[in-house]
Amino acid sequence: MESKAAKYTTTILDRCWLSKVTYELILSKPPSFDFSPGQRIHLCYGTTKREYSLVSSPADSKLILCIRLVSDGVLSPELGNIKTNTRLQFTGPHGYFTFKPSSRPAIFVATGTGVAPFCSMVRSGIVGYTLLHGVQTAEELHYADEFRSSAALYVPCLSEANQSSESYFKGRVSDYLLNQIPPDRYDFYLCGRAEMIRDITFLVDDNFPGSFIYTESFY
Amino acid sequence: MNAPGIICRFFSKKFFQIDRGGIIRYAESGPDCKKQPNPELTISVMEGSTILTRKGTMKIYTGTGDRGKTSLFSGERVFKSHLRIEAYGDLDELNSIIGALIASLPTQNSHLIKELQQVQSDLFTISALLATTPDSPSMDAIENITPEQIKLLESAVDRMQEELPELRGFILPGGDISASWSHLARTVCRRSERRMVRFLEEMFPTHIPNSYQQALTYVNRLSDYFFALARYCNYITGVSEKLWKI
Repeated sequence: MESKAAKYTTTILDRCWLSKVTYELILSKPPSFDFSPGQRIHLCYGTTKREYSLVSSPADSKLILCIRLVSDGVLSPELGNIKTNTRLQFTGPHGYFTFKPSSRPAIFVATGTGVAPFCSMVRSGIVGYTLLHGVQTAEELHYADEFRSSAALYVPCLSEANQSSESYFKGRVSDYLLNQIPPDRYDFYLCGRAEMIRDITFLVDDNFPGSFIYTESFY
Repeated sequence: MNAPGIICRFFSKKFFQIDRGGIIRYAESGPDCKKQPNPELTISVMEGSTILTRKGTMKIYTGTGDRGKTSLFSGERVFKSHLRIEAYGDLDELNSIIGALIASLPTQNSHLIKELQQVQSDLFTISALLATTPDSPSMDAIENITPEQIKLLESAVDRMQEELPELRGFILPGGDISASWSHLARTVCRRSERRMVRFLEEMFPTHIPNSYQQALTYVNRLSDYFFALARYCNYITGVSEKLWKI
């Protein structure tokens, strides 16, 4: 379990901006480091430590993180300016937010960069899931092509859209779940802000009894 | 209890918004922005003022248990009154008492402290087992209690017994503070065992699988360990045992 986590040194290889506020940080992968899709690492920068889910699959030769720049964030501003070839330490892998195959349909629910662990799962071969991705605007729909080609149903939920269209739903993930997903027993995988996880958990308790819930929250 | 925050001093007017978790967050909007934060939830901070932020701290709560249900490690939502939750709740209580016991031990007993910390870790292993339904994929991440871990407890009991004076009857729980904590650990351990048995009987009416049987054996042996340890604590601190006089 957690005791398998160890300390590693990595090098910043590149940083790619996906939008004005979100970037990918590409790190070298230590040869002895292994993880399961959906797990996270604790990245250390000076005395600061921050948890990030891996976007890359275990088979990839590099580690990829998807980070939203938060102006008063703990680490995201520093990492947004960090120079390539900088060496950092991290511990990992951490967490149990991994895909558990079952007879129930899987519904992934993410807000913002909460799609990161799902991206790692998809890059590792998971298909046929439903993904509800909640963002404010379409510019934040990262990895959409990968999800479209592997999901049974991929629904971008845009809270600031003027109206729904063929390519997205106007509203929150909770609105879509409540009004569009038929009653059944599902495996819900929730990743995002704690408030979303709480709201969806209650919604599942009330409307999808007998379902399973796996969560990964960030703050 | 609030985690310590960071005092920030601001040199221009800023807007902050209080989220539903009560955390003050910087609002990316102000007089010059199109989108205004919700005025009912927003505070403005004037130039030169200071506020305490929670930057660098993490919330430990999600609020998903506010309505009486909790999530098992294997993903199911169950009521907190469920026997399963009672069972690992008692182990949690036992673990906390062991923490107090460790704190009460003189520091020169580092071998005992190390031994007790291993027990605390083992109890987490058993709690994780109880929080996971059998046959679920989450079982892959669960460790089992091994016969070696049980043998270590038995060896520790034997080691202490060799030094202790002969037991001449029932003893009154108490004596040194460390011995008193150990007696309390013993009784909560017994209760944990009773609760585990009730739960396992309900879950496996005909046959208890080996992984659960091992956990049950460990908890049974652990209460013997705490009895021996309570006597040992009195012995090393020079406190005499009080016998029950009929």
